[in-house]
Amino acid sequence: MTKHLLLSAAVLALATSAAFAHQMKFVPGEDSRFHWDSFDSFKASHALDGQKLVIDGPWGGVDKELFESVLATFEAATGASVEYNGGDGFEQRIMVNVEAGSPPDIAVVPQPGLAADLAKRGKLTPLGEATQKWLAENYAAGQSWVDLGTYAGPDGKKALYGLFYKVDLKSLVWYSPENFEDAGYEVPQTMEELKALTEKIVADGGTPWCIGLGSGPATGWPATDWVEDMMLRDNTPADYDAWTTNALKFTDPKVLTAIDDFGWFAKNDKFVAGGAGAVGSTDFRDSPKGLFVSPPQCYMHRQASFIPSFFPEGTKIGEDADFFYFPAYAGKDLGKPVLGAGTVFVMTHETAAAKAFFEFLQTPIAHEVWMARTGFLTPLKTVNPEVYGDATLKKMGDILLNASTFRFDGSDLMPGAVGAGTFWTGMVDYVGGKESATVAAEIQKSWDAIK
Amino acid sequence: MNDRVEDGAAGRSAALVWAVNIAAAALVLLWTIPTVGLLVSSFRDRDQIITSGWWRAAFSSTANDFVRAGTAADQVQEGDVFVISGNVLPSKAELKSWGVSSKAPAAYQPGDIAELKDGQRLTVSDKGDYRLTSPTAFPEGRGMRIFVTTVAPPRLTTGNYARVITAEGIGRAFLNTMTVTIPATVIPILIAAFAAYALAWMRFPGRALLVATIVGLLVVPLQLALIPLLKLHNQIGLNQSYLGIWLAHTGFGLPLAIYLLRNYMVGLPREIIESARVDGATEFQIFRRIVLPLSFPALASFAIFQFLWVWNDLLVATVFLGNATDTQVMTGALRALLGSRGGDWEILAASAFVSIAVPLIVFFALQKYLVRGLLAGSVKGG
Repeated sequence: MTKHLLLSAAVLALATSAAFAHQMKFVPGEDSRFHWDSFDSFKASHALDGQKLVIDGPWGGVDKELFESVLATFEAATGASVEYNGGDGFEQRIMVNVEAGSPPDIAVVPQPGLAADLAKRGKLTPLGEATQKWLAENYAAGQSWVDLGTYAGPDGKKALYGLFYKVDLKSLVWYSPENFEDAGYEVPQTMEELKALTEKIVADGGTPWCIGLGSGPATGWPATDWVEDMMLRDNTPADYDAWTTNALKFTDPKVLTAIDDFGWFAKNDKFVAGGAGAVGSTDFRDSPKGLFVSPPQCYMHRQASFIPSFFPEGTKIGEDADFFYFPAYAGKDLGKPVLGAGTVFVMTHETAAAKAFFEFLQTPIAHEVWMARTGFLTPLKTVNPEVYGDATLKKMGDILLNASTFRFDGSDLMPGAVGAGTFWTGMVDYVGGKESATVAAEIQKSWDAIK
Repeated sequence: MNDRVEDGAAGRSAALVWAVNIAAAALVLLWTIPTVGLLVSSFRDRDQIITSGWWRAAFSSTANDFVRAGTAADQVQEGDVFVISGNVLPSKAELKSWGVSSKAPAAYQPGDIAELKDGQRLTVSDKGDYRLTSPTAFPEGRGMRIFVTTVAPPRLTTGNYARVITAEGIGRAFLNTMTVTIPATVIPILIAAFAAYALAWMRFPGRALLVATIVGLLVVPLQLALIPLLKLHNQIGLNQSYLGIWLAHTGFGLPLAIYLLRNYMVGLPREIIESARVDGATEFQIFRRIVLPLSFPALASFAIFQFLWVWNDLLVATVFLGNATDTQVMTGALRALLGSRGGDWEILAASAFVSIAVPLIVFFALQKYLVRGLLAGSVKGG
């Protein structure tokens, strides 16, 4: 009897597994801030009725919902149906599927290093000269985006394989303006002021920082962002570039200074909520919550532009929480460096629908429908900045524009075994009590091993 | 098990028996504490989990929070003062103290009056009703924060389960897991029972070698086969489908199944089978009428193993079934939840319990066969 029940449950599951259509958030033509003309002209030139497009990527949860509304716009324009199968575990999934011969049509890769690896294995289709020209002309600092998306193919020939879409800004410090007001603190303009403020908060009996490195198998990555930000504030951009290719070794005093500068914040029991011992074990998604409890567990949290997704429900950015630029040393004359990251779209299976999707990504409307919501920044110059969902995103856009130096997340540029391996674990060891020289030597050793 | 303890202790003092029992009870307690914690957490709401540990679920909890007072839009003019009023208490909670600054969130007692800037005054009664007054009209902007320390009575909710099953897609994933697990348990048993009988009771050349090969396959890690097998599936057009994952699980489960069942069947009394042969029974009749009914404990113990393994599997499911929402299994859905709701413990605890409910039922329903089948398979041997 139970067996019959279970079997009928199984049959039911099979029967109900019909695909669902994505929901569009904005109706074409309704809001004049959007470039609906680009939607119309794209729609007129692309008819893909009945065709299917499969996309895999790292976005789950809220981001998945947001991306699916972009897909809905593409579906409405072309008549194609798009299936987005992304979520956690993307890095392993894409490798297995590509190797076994069942790749998605398009992959959204969070680390350029992984995309370069796929290109080298001959699993990607080049995007062509026209896209390269368009990118250089229409993205702010276009050539740098072309360079980041250009990889060597299986024959060693370099070509543009990746189109960046959705950029994150990393050099941000989040805080609660009302808590600052209650305590009489000012937003620091230089790194010296930031360090002084940190000490002042401790003197006042508070805890300045919330830092959490926990992220399941990726535990440690938030610390690599800290170190990269400190690299850009202690050393020249040229040193930073050399560091990401290991021309400047991990054991170099310049790198050690940057690691120890991060340690100044994270390895002091009085500076971090829960003490330095809690840094390695606190989940990065939980750590910002200390800003919003009563009494506040901490006053500041350094994290990228995506973090509001993990703030408590109902938190209003700009009112309950705000951010300031993670400042540079006034004494070092390195300008205003900004650290960022982004996701790169690559074509893993050449189909008409996949090609059309890359053309879609080159229309302003593809960027605007996500801009108008949350957590999306774009370097595309042709979009209407008025579309940004809130003043905060616009402010981030300003930071991006005012940056004297923009550098991509270094750990994403390093080989996977280092940038998504020993660098992460090394940082966990470092906050756990090891010396920077010991940790750096271990990371360098792992890099030497794969050369 | 009980028999043995009593036999062993027969000649000794009763104190030893007690010591053994107490030690066993303590170990059981120790091992089940995490699960109990998870179970209790799954019935608590988010605020309670943040403010106190699960072991305090049965007591009142003290919480610190802040509430926003109304804005300029809510003000009413009473004579020459402007008033904003409202209530700061969640239902059933008691107010202990309150404050107006994050630096001193418990500065005032219920009933006190706080003097604020510009001649504004705030008072909060012990019922939680607040009254904010000002001699001039309140300006536009956000409502001020009123910090409250409250004592809430214990309360449990099933809301987490309702939310998990409907809104978070766990209900759907549950059915998908069923769809994967049941055939992936039944198919290997069917095949392995035939194979085990042949290897145990039918004479043919190379039998010993075949058994050795199967034992050898037990130590091959299945990760080795993932990509080549998926490649094969893609080439023959299975792609990522339920049929593909059933076959994959069957393949990965067969060595253990054949080994376990064969060892059990070899231990069955030779006389029964010989006399059946003498009476003219065919091999199939012997298998169906004699060996299969006698092997039930071994079949059941393997079924438990395979069921639990497939139910908890994430790797094989991700590779052979993919990550699409409409075919995602429970482990995949739980991982997605961890990524998007890693901080919401109440959701995670409830989904964990939805996921372990079925394995628990299967285990308790079949556990009496588990030990019997296992012992039979391992001790009698060859």
